[in-house]
Formats: sequence, C-alpha cells, structure tokens
Amino acid sequence: MPTPRHHLNRQRRRQAALADQPGPGGRSRTPAGVFTEPAPRTGERPAVKSVRESAAEPKRQTRRAEKAAGEKTGREKTGVEKSGRVPLAVLCVLTLLLGGFAGWAYSRAGELRDDPARGNTALTDLARTSEIKGQTGAAVAALFSYDHADTAPFERAGKTLLTGKAVAQHRTLLGGVLAKAAEQKTVITTTVTDSAVERIDGDRARVLVYADQSSVSTAGLPSKDTPAKAADQGVYAGAMFAVDVVLRDGRWLVENIDTFGR
Amino acid sequence: MSHPVRTPAGSRPALAVALVLTLAAGASAAWAGRDWYAAAHDDSAAYAAQRDEALAAGEQAVQNLNTLDHKRVEQGLDLWESSTTGELHRQLVEGRAEFTGQVRAARTVTTARVLSGAVTELDDRAGRARLLVALRITVTTPDSKSTDKDSRMLGELTRADGHWKLSALGQAPVGGTAVG
Repeated sequence: MPTPRHHLNRQRRRQAALADQPGPGGRSRTPAGVFTEPAPRTGERPAVKSVRESAAEPKRQTRRAEKAAGEKTGREKTGVEKSGRVPLAVLCVLTLLLGGFAGWAYSRAGELRDDPARGNTALTDLARTSEIKGQTGAAVAALFSYDHADTAPFERAGKTLLTGKAVAQHRTLLGGVLAKAAEQKTVITTTVTDSAVERIDGDRARVLVYADQSSVSTAGLPSKDTPAKAADQGVYAGAMFAVDVVLRDGRWLVENIDTFGR
Repeated sequence: MSHPVRTPAGSRPALAVALVLTLAAGASAAWAGRDWYAAAHDDSAAYAAQRDEALAAGEQAVQNLNTLDHKRVEQGLDLWESSTTGELHRQLVEGRAEFTGQVRAARTVTTARVLSGAVTELDDRAGRARLLVALRITVTTPDSKSTDKDSRMLGELTRADGHWKLSALGQAPVGGTAVG
C-alpha cells in the first residue's frame, strides 16, 4: 500500500534518474557537430576534444576556447613526447641503480671470497684435514723409521712417499744414521704424537708435526753425530718439524721438510 | 590523425630497449646480491675467521708467556696475566710473588719466537680451541751467554669477552714408555 510519502520518494528518484541520463542530442554529441564546423583550422583530434569541452560555454566564448584549444594542442603534443620520455628516464635511472648495485655486490662478494682465511680450508674442511693428518702421520712414521734387519719398508717409503726436494732433505737428515746403521744394528722407530694442519690450499698443505723417536743400537758405541738418536739403550727424543705435502694421484706426498733451521 | 600516433610510436622501441636493459640490470643485481649475501653469510668462512683469530691470539699468548726480562718483571707478568684466563690465569696470579723473586735472582732475559703454529681443534660455539706452537726460546744469562731451546707447546684457548686467551699451556711430553 503506497503511502503518499512513498509515492513522493519514488517520483523524486525517477526524476533524478531522468536527469542523469543524457537527453536526446545531449551536450556531448550534438554541440560537437555544431561547433566543429567553425573550427576547421585546428583540424586535430585534441582540438575537437577541447572544443567539445567548451561546448557548454556561451557562444561568445568560443573564439577564446578555440585559441586555447590551439595552444592546448601544442602543449599536448609535447606532453605526448614527455609521457614517452618520463618512463624512459625512469627506466634509465633504474638501470643505472640496479647495474650499480650489481657491480658493487659483485665486487663485495669477490673481496669476501679472496679473504686469505677462506682460502685456507684447514679445519673448515674436516674430512680433508683428517685425511691429511692421517696420511702425513703415516708417511712421517714410515720415512723416519729404520730397522737394520729389514730395510725394505724404509726404502719403499723413501721411494713412494717423497717428491721434489724432500728426497734430498730426507737423505741428508738420515744420512748420518744410515752410514753406521748396518754395523751398529740400529733400529729407529718414529711415532707422530701430535700434528696439526696449518694450511690447506687445494692440493697443497702444511702440517706441523711433533714426533717421538726411539733409537736403539744393539752394537757399537753411541755415534757422536747423532748422540740423541743412537745409544746402547733405547733413547727417546722429541722432534718437531713441519712438512709440506702435495696431493698426487690421491696420495699426499711429502714435498718439503722444514726443521726450522736445525 | 597520423601525427599524434607517430609520436608515442617513435619512443616505443627506445622504451622497449630501456625496459629490457632495466630487466637485465635487475636480474644481475638480484644475482650479485644473492651471491654477496651467500659470501657474507658463509658458515665455513666465519669458522675460518675464528680459526685464524684463535691461532693469532694463541701464538701471541704463547710467545708472551715465554718472554720475560728480569729488569721488567712486573710489566712482563702483567702481560702474562692479560694473555691468560681460567685455571692458568689463576695459577699465574697465585705464583706471581714467588716467581718474581726467582727471576730477579736469576737475572735472566728470556725471549721466544714462534716457529710455527696450528689449530688442532676449534669449537667456535663453545669458544674453545687447542693449538700446537713450535717455539724457539732464547735464554740470556747475566754473563751475556744465550742458549736456544726448542719447545713443543700444546695450548688450550678459551674465548673470554670475545678474545681468545690461553687457559692451559704445556709441553708435549717426550717418550711415554721406554722400549728395551
């Protein structure tokens, strides 16, 4: 049951809806047709648009509107170029910034990787560290142990575990003992008690070794050259030295023996 | 009609090129940034840095503890105490008076040089490390005679307040059991 108020409201709504709809030959179309005619000079779409905008204005303002439209066209043209330039500039700046950051980050990463601490993988590569420790310990024990009754293991060690200048260093270190070994019936036993890998650089490493050396001569007098090593009874001597080892065919070979000037 | 169309069309290839360049720069920035992040947060690198720090501090501390001039005992012992922590530090503090007397009486000058050193164990979380230091100690007696002695040191380091300090120091024993 529509009350008078309901009715009024409905009417009001209908009127409002009607007002919103553009009437036949509404502002936006018909006047455009009329007003484009006296403005053929502009001849361009933006001009048409501007004229259309000013269509609602009284007729005496048309001239001014046309002039403004002409100016506007010029401005709009550069505006179009500008609107192409702005994103271009933004992209260029972005490219520079991103490229700059990339270069900077790359050099920072390089600096960090070139850090000498990182190049040394002693302890950081635990598997390699213990492999080097184990093989070096075994090599040192074999290289500095000698039994006059069975010299084969000693000779084999000298041939297979040494490389480079270590061959000559090994001969010099043991030369004195070996010269009298046969007649003195010398037995030297070397055991590595402590060792630590100072540096691992790829297939090269340096190991600090503490070794105990027991020397037994069952014949003859103690040698004057090696008093600590040769005696009638078992003599223990502690030795410390560093060895440089290189990886060759899956084996770490002794390349240098550093006895710290002793 | 064609004129206003041509203008944006003219800048289109340039825009496309710029866009491609920007994307390329963005991609390389992302890659380099990731690479840098990975390098900066590499666990083994931090561990390696700790190892080198511990070794440097350990070698210096071992050298300090084997250096003493009878003319400057107090300064020397202050350095000993600042290089150590824990049990070793306690022992040094307790024995200081007695030791000062001994060194003054002997009138010796002891200097030490690290020949080589290496870390054997490192627990960077707990802040503990063990190291070997090959040391050459030179003792000069009042009659200006000096003798060199090589020492095979075994040290234990403990991190205290961000600094590695010696908490134990001794010589590697020679020959446990004599064989025949």
